Formats: sequence, C-alpha cells, structure tokens
Amino acid sequence: MTHLVEVLATPLAVVGYAEPWWMAIAKSLVIFAVGLQLVPLVLLMERKLLGRFQNRFGPNRVGPFGLLTPIADIVKLLTKEGFRPRTSIGWLFALAPVLSIMSAVAVLAILPFGNVQDIFGTPTGLYGIDVSIGPLFVFAFGAIAFYGIMLGGWSSGSKYSFLGSMRAAAQLISYEAAQGMALIGVIITAQSMSLTEIVEAQAGMWYVVPQIFAFLIFMVASFAETNRPPFDLVEADAELVGGYMTEYGGGRFATYFFAEYLNIIVISGLTVTFFLGGWMLPFGIDAPGWVDPLVVIGKLMVFVFFFIWIRATLPRLRYDQLMSFGWKVLLPLATLNTLVTAIVVTV
Amino acid sequence: MGFFFFLFAIVAVAGAVGVVALRNPFYCALSLAVHLIALALLFLLLEAQFVAAAQVVVYAGAVVVLYVFVVVYVGGGSKPEPLWRASARQRGLAGLFGAAIFIELSIAILGTGLKALDGDGAKLGAGYGSPGQIGELLLIKHLLAFELASFLLLIAAVAAVALAGRRQGLEDDVFPDMEIVDVRRPAATGTMGEAVGGYGLLVPPTGSEPAPEPAEPDTAGGAPVGEAR
Repeated sequence: MTHLVEVLATPLAVVGYAEPWWMAIAKSLVIFAVGLQLVPLVLLMERKLLGRFQNRFGPNRVGPFGLLTPIADIVKLLTKEGFRPRTSIGWLFALAPVLSIMSAVAVLAILPFGNVQDIFGTPTGLYGIDVSIGPLFVFAFGAIAFYGIMLGGWSSGSKYSFLGSMRAAAQLISYEAAQGMALIGVIITAQSMSLTEIVEAQAGMWYVVPQIFAFLIFMVASFAETNRPPFDLVEADAELVGGYMTEYGGGRFATYFFAEYLNIIVISGLTVTFFLGGWMLPFGIDAPGWVDPLVVIGKLMVFVFFFIWIRATLPRLRYDQLMSFGWKVLLPLATLNTLVTAIVVTV
Repeated sequence: MGFFFFLFAIVAVAGAVGVVALRNPFYCALSLAVHLIALALLFLLLEAQFVAAAQVVVYAGAVVVLYVFVVVYVGGGSKPEPLWRASARQRGLAGLFGAAIFIELSIAILGTGLKALDGDGAKLGAGYGSPGQIGELLLIKHLLAFELASFLLLIAAVAAVALAGRRQGLEDDVFPDMEIVDVRRPAATGTMGEAVGGYGLLVPPTGSEPAPEPAEPDTAGGAPVGEAR
C-alpha cells in the first residue's frame, strides 16, 4: 500500500511536502467530501438567488426555507429510470458523464486551501497535491473534460446533442487559449507554476491589482469554459433544447449537472488562488492556520455568487459574436498583457 | 513502477493499433486520444511532468479535438467510403518503409537499449522535468532550434490565414435554386432580420430576370436586405 501511494504520488508531488501515506489518503477523503458538499449548497444558492433576482421567492417547500431542495432534486434524479435513445452508442453514452465528473474532481485535488500545517504532529499541506505544473494540470484535465462533453453529444445520436457538442468543441478551444494566456502574466509575476508558491508570492499584494487585465480576461474566459450564461451556447435551451445533455436523464444527467456546478466551484477556487491571495486575509491580518480553508471557501463563494449574478443579469450572446469576441478581443488582450508583464518584470 | 509501465505501454500500443485498424474515423480519432494520454502517463512515470501535461493539453486537448471536429463534420458514418485506393506501387513502398523503420528500431534497441535495461538509468537532478528546467533548456541551451521551430509555426499560421482569406464569404451558387431579391417584409412583423440586424431573405426565383444587386443598408432603420453572410 505504502509503495503504491508513493509510486503514484512521486511524479506529481515533487514541489510540495510529501506526507505519510495514511495522511495523504485521509486528506484526499476530506477534500473530496468537503468539495462535493459544496455542490448542493451552490445549487440551492443559485435557485434561491435567481428567485430573488427575478423578484420571487425561489424554492421554499422542501425543508425549512427550502433548504432540502437540492437533496430532493438528487433523490429524484437518482431514482429515475435509466434510459438511452435507440440511436445512441451505449458504452460512449455511459462513459461521457464519467469523464466529465472525473476531470472536475481531479482539479479539486490541486486547489490549495492552506499552507503546511501540523495535524496530530504530522506536517500536512492543506491541498491534495502541490504540483510543479499547476495551471497546466488544470488545462490537461480541462482537455479531458472536453471529451466528456464531446462524446456525450456525439454518442447520443441526436441532432441537438450533436450541435451542442460541436459548439462546445469550438467554444472550449477558443476560450482555453485566452484563459491560458491570461494566466501566463500571473506565472511570470509569481515566477512559479506551483499553486502554493503563487499564493505565497501574493503576500505583499494580491495579483488582482497588478494583473487586473489578466483577472478580467480570466473571469470572462472562465464563464465560457464552464458553459455559464452569457456564454452557455453549448446548452442554449432556446435553440438546442439542452445541448450535449439533451438525451440524458436520471443519474447520468445528475452526473453532468454535478460536474457543471463542481466546475464553477473549482474555477472560482482557481480565481481565488491566482488573483485573490488564496488563503491570505487582507491587510496582512495573520490568522491561525485552521482559518485558512474557511478563508478560501469564503472568497470562493463570493465568486460563485458573481457567477449567479451574471446569469441573472446578462442575456445569451449570438454564436458568431461569441467566437469573434474570443479570438479577436480576448486573445489579443491576453497576449498584450503577457507581453507587458514580461517587459515590466524583466526591466 | 514496472506494473504501471506495462499497463500504460499496453494501452498506448492498443490505442496506436486502433488508429490504423478501426474502420470508423471517429473511433480512430478517439483511439489516437487514448494513445496520446497513455503516452503522457508514460512521461509521468519518467518524472517529466511538464512534458506529460503539455502532451495532454496540446495533443489530446487541441490536435485530436481538431481531428474529431473535422471527422464529425465531414461525416464519419458507420460505413465511411475510402477516400482513395492505394495502388500496387504505393503498397510496395509502404512495405518498404515499414521494413526500414523496423530495421532502424532493431538496430537502436539491440545497440544501446538492451544495455540500459540492467542500469539504473540516467541520474536525475533536483527539479528534473519541472517547468523551470524545461524553460532553461528551451530558452538558453537550445534557443536557436526553439526559435527556428517557432518561426516555422508562425509561417504555417500566416499561410493558413492567407489560404483561408482567399475565400470571401459564401459563394454565389450555394443555393442554386435560390436567389436574393430586394424584397422587404413590412416593418414590425417580427422577422429574424430585425432582431439580428439584417440577413438576406431567400425566395425562389420568379422569372428569368437577372438577380438584383444587394440593397444598400437602409438608413431609415429597416433591416438591410441582401447581405448574405
């Protein structure tokens, strides 16, 4: 067992502190549990807030203040009959949602919730693993998440799903470029790709100030990458019914749905890590170590709120507007930001 | 370590065989993705994290996605037509090249590869395979080769733009039985053209008159008609 964990962890955990194997397992379970618990919370938050934004109450029937609505949703979806269209391709149809949620959970592993702390006398980093390739790890799993959407749409054997997945292909590639370009400015400023080192490099000033353009570009591209309004062309319900997940129902639909909201949480967490000083409190307040994860989750929730706010505010773009915005506005701006940052940092 | 090596190696070889053996081009592209991801995992076993991640991002994430894109748009049905048939000479040449590569690999493996099996491999320095070290190699040690490669890519990109720019919008005979006529629906009838600011209305040709010129955009606020885009 020890050997297996070491073999699996060695290539990735070169930068960070390597804990004993039992601690590695324990903390991955904790991160998994806490991360997945955030999803129903965000679901409820979204429905409640959307209700308020639209001058209504939102769900308020199940449990006190409708607090148990997401649980009811999940139970409803999981107890539904599993089915697939006759024209679909069975094993790909089943595999696609798994790829989607697998890649979303995998990125959760490198989200730093705090620095190395003493837990029961064992120094433990409050993150799954600290990889030396931070952002690239995210984009690598983003590439695999793409196959989840692509295969789901293609294997459904339906035109709406197919169109949705084709849109996903074009949209995700376009905005991934701008998103990655924006992060290069951060990496140049921090002079590291390890997420914990990026957070620690923000001790003096959070990168949202010197890298404000990178922050804005990253935020806009993140909306497109997570298929959220106003960039939800992939599942535009008015045109495509439900996009790539039109033919999905029951547990598999729940998996896609879960992955989508987990992606929002993860991308918010990454924004906090790259631009808002991760676990650090503003004005140099030095909090005890156990506060760190709470600080990260608190900041993260601010961004989740922002995601919901934008959904309630902005209408969907037209498809060609989306494409030309990504390639002709965001990407040049991100490149310019990289160039200027590189010049400022070296000179 | 050995177990994982053989696992990933078998997956990689299986993926590569799938690319050439499968009939449906969509599955070919998918098995190429499987092959590339297995290669990335092999890189990871060699502690080359940066190369592994770059492999997945660039190949599985961009190149194969492009293949998949083309395959599904061009149509990878269940029974695709072969685009061309190899002639006898081409088949012979293919066999020749295959044999040449086999001999070359055999020489390489028998010459040095077998000797390395018993050794511990090359010594790894601190931070081996990290982005910092890759950057040092690319931008200091092999700067000239790196810049030449990037120039090559730049030339390819410019060429792609030039080739794509040659085609200006839609051809005239996209809809052979349809023509663009200068007809305007009454305002405020809720046309799509009003909503998006102007698309041509396509109606069947009425007679043998020549197709009228596209109308100029109307300054009075109506949707400009005839801009096929």
